[in-house]
Amino acid sequence: MGKKKKNGWGKKQRAVIVTGVRTPFVKAFGRFLNLDTIDLADIAVRTLLERTDLPHDEIDSIVWGGVILPSAAPNIAREVALDLRLPPSVEGMTCTRACATGLQAVTLAAAAIERGEADVIIAGGSDSTSNAPINLPQKAVHALAPLAFGKASAASDYLGVLAQMMPITDILPKMPKIAERTTGEVMGESAESMARRNEISREAQDRFAERSHHRAAEAIASGRFDDEVAPVETPDGWVHTDNIVRGDTSVEKLSKLRPVFAKDGTVTAGNASPLTDGAAAVLLMSEDKARALGYTPLAAFRSWAYVGVDPTDQLLIGPALAMPKALERAGMELRDASLVDMHEAFAAQVLSVTKALASKGFAEVRLGRSKAVGEIDEDTFNVHGGSLSIGHPFGATGARMVTTMANELARSGKETALLGICAAGGLGAAAVLEAVR
Amino acid sequence: MTDLLLENESARKLIKALGLPIPVPERLERAKGPYEERPLDDKTILVGGHGALQAVLAQVLTKAGAIPWVVGKSDSVLEPYLGPGEAWARTPHRVEPGDAPEGKRVDAIVFDGTGLETPDDLHQLYEVMHPWIRRLNRSGRVVVIGRPGGEARRPAIAATRAGLEGFTRSLGKEIGSNGSVANSVFVEEGAEDRLGPVLRFLLSPRSAFISCQPFHVTKTAKGDEAPETHVLGGKVALVTGAARGIGEATAEILAAEGAHVVCLDRPADDGPCSQVAQRIGGSVLLVDITDPDAPERIANDLRERFGGVDVVVHNAGVTRDKTLGRMKPDAWDMAVDINLGAVVRITERLLQNDVLRPGGRIVCLSSVSGIAGNRGQTNYSASKAGVVGFVRALAPQVAEKGITVNAIAPGFIETRLTNAMPVAIREVARRMSAVGQGGKPEDVGQAITFLATPGAAGLTGETIRVCGGALVGA
Repeated sequence: MGKKKKNGWGKKQRAVIVTGVRTPFVKAFGRFLNLDTIDLADIAVRTLLERTDLPHDEIDSIVWGGVILPSAAPNIAREVALDLRLPPSVEGMTCTRACATGLQAVTLAAAAIERGEADVIIAGGSDSTSNAPINLPQKAVHALAPLAFGKASAASDYLGVLAQMMPITDILPKMPKIAERTTGEVMGESAESMARRNEISREAQDRFAERSHHRAAEAIASGRFDDEVAPVETPDGWVHTDNIVRGDTSVEKLSKLRPVFAKDGTVTAGNASPLTDGAAAVLLMSEDKARALGYTPLAAFRSWAYVGVDPTDQLLIGPALAMPKALERAGMELRDASLVDMHEAFAAQVLSVTKALASKGFAEVRLGRSKAVGEIDEDTFNVHGGSLSIGHPFGATGARMVTTMANELARSGKETALLGICAAGGLGAAAVLEAVR
Repeated sequence: MTDLLLENESARKLIKALGLPIPVPERLERAKGPYEERPLDDKTILVGGHGALQAVLAQVLTKAGAIPWVVGKSDSVLEPYLGPGEAWARTPHRVEPGDAPEGKRVDAIVFDGTGLETPDDLHQLYEVMHPWIRRLNRSGRVVVIGRPGGEARRPAIAATRAGLEGFTRSLGKEIGSNGSVANSVFVEEGAEDRLGPVLRFLLSPRSAFISCQPFHVTKTAKGDEAPETHVLGGKVALVTGAARGIGEATAEILAAEGAHVVCLDRPADDGPCSQVAQRIGGSVLLVDITDPDAPERIANDLRERFGGVDVVVHNAGVTRDKTLGRMKPDAWDMAVDINLGAVVRITERLLQNDVLRPGGRIVCLSSVSGIAGNRGQTNYSASKAGVVGFVRALAPQVAEKGITVNAIAPGFIETRLTNAMPVAIREVARRMSAVGQGGKPEDVGQAITFLATPGAAGLTGETIRVCGGALVGA
């Protein structure tokens, strides 16, 4: 059984990121088809434990994130602890905040450590779009209930149930789609309207997508991701790397794709992030604990911020408000950030956000500042690609970004990294990481 | 209450197909829910004129979600629109004066005439509107903005300014068949920051039945920060005659904006009044407003239950029509006392000891009959014209407390009252407006509610007609 721990409640301590690891990110309905979100989470956490040789009885808690939660066992974190036979004392909670879920899990863990609530937490997220449950419409469920749970016997009972099932289209299972509950708008349509409003051309979007693929392909080829991506064994062999990245794509190829969400639109499968399966895990500790256990911390959070914007206007503009807020909380300006990493839901969304950040008008009216937040330097921006090329398992992306940026700070000797994520419901998230030496 | 030409699709099609010389009125677009963050979302609005208000217009229109098309000879006219455009992602466009690109249509035209000084300058109205007026979408809006003539240094300037009003009144009559309305707004110098809410209202579907009216935006009454949504949150509103018709519609809209509505009606109308109150989560107050102790009872009740009141809507009213020679004395007394006497008595009592709290709003119901006169309504017209005089005189007296006092003068509104009219007269009355149809109680309710909002601080002492641009009256 785990050893008795000191009660550190209320003690102020610094939370540090020790390391992170993720599965390869794989196109949905592909090679991870038979791995559901808990399987993927198990793999990421197990790999993290193996790579760090972390004594299991040091773990206080698992904080996991998921967007498509398995209805039979929504608290994935606890399932992971049980699946991996971690000590029963390793408690678990699962959070959800649309595409900012992964970052939410990590910042929850950091906050708990800083509060002295825990010393060692594994945080991360996973999603298996391939295993999204397809529910029967409520009408069918209600109509069938008497047969399943009641005492229907006569033929007329069955006929009565059948009669309730008409028209047939009302009771057929509906394919899940990424639509806003309040507006019914599919997210691609939101991206399309942002492209139109902010005048982001098709060419600019395709050029950004090309850049994302080329940078990710370079990172993979150079072995840059080897520390943070662990191969996964599936029934039909090993999966070693992300399989959505196209190093050979070009603006020319991308320009041939047809717009998906509007006839004369600009958003295509090529400049939108694809449905993806995958998981990412981050190990966080109090700095003292990390040093005591002999780990070299990579980074720590200087600040974070979560915001909401009107989802009926520009659904995915949130980072343009969250990023300045996180910077302000960190006492920084945009130019002070040595690296900027933004979740690429759509090229149109990223470019809308960067345009807003560079706008004086936006700064004055929306942020109450007299100067624009600033232009992001191309060389420091999404240096190893992003969700367009690497993929976007909803719950995992934030943890992937934290890991990649923490490693980048440690490798490059740079000081700070600014993260930005847009999310469904009009949410925006941002965080500032600082190097820990 | 049904207007065949509006509600019967077959009749509409038949008349159009046969080419009968009956103008088929356009169905008016009306607001569906409470005040929105962006009442003009995605509307294309043409902005013309070279006045002092371009920066205000840029802020207001863009934030309300509209896409501005600015008339001008060079891109410098876009200057004020660029910053707000980036903030709200509404990119402005420029069009050459006198030019309207093929196929382009607009939802509204806003003309800033605050820079006009000579009669020759009025040509700008023609230049901006002529190419576009037939490109105005259905249920469109025209708003012409100027400075009040009374402020003018020279008579020539005053003449030019007055011209804007005449232009707008005539234009409203021309575009009514399209379901569109035109109004003018005269902004006192220094009251520019009060223009926003007025524009948001006039350009939105909330003003569907208001046409050919001048609005005077002043800095007379003190004003505070005005919310754009949930505009009456935390306010207490008293509506007299709330059991049905315009009172009921007004109570509903006030409640939808967050007000706690005290529904007042006669004890005999307990049933319907309670139903309204229950539906909107309001309270009931059963008082006969002609009782001598009614003002005292109302004031005490509001003070005891709510600590005061923020909005008072004097809606209760009656008609007792007869030509003067045939009119019985009690018909005269009743109409004048309910429509005017009680309004004066109750208002005066509520103003004592700040029962009507600072920043309060008083809205009285006048009538187009009160302005234009109507056969058989000497009593009614006397009372309703009296209301016009009352709000005009009271407004400056309470301005220091931030209280505004206004009147609404409905034209032909489809209610129980008008439904009782003889068919032929009703049919004529309906068509006697620019939009060729009667209004709905909610049209009046929307206007009252707007005047009740903190954002309407710029309007006081006004009588605003909700008449669809009626052909009678001024």
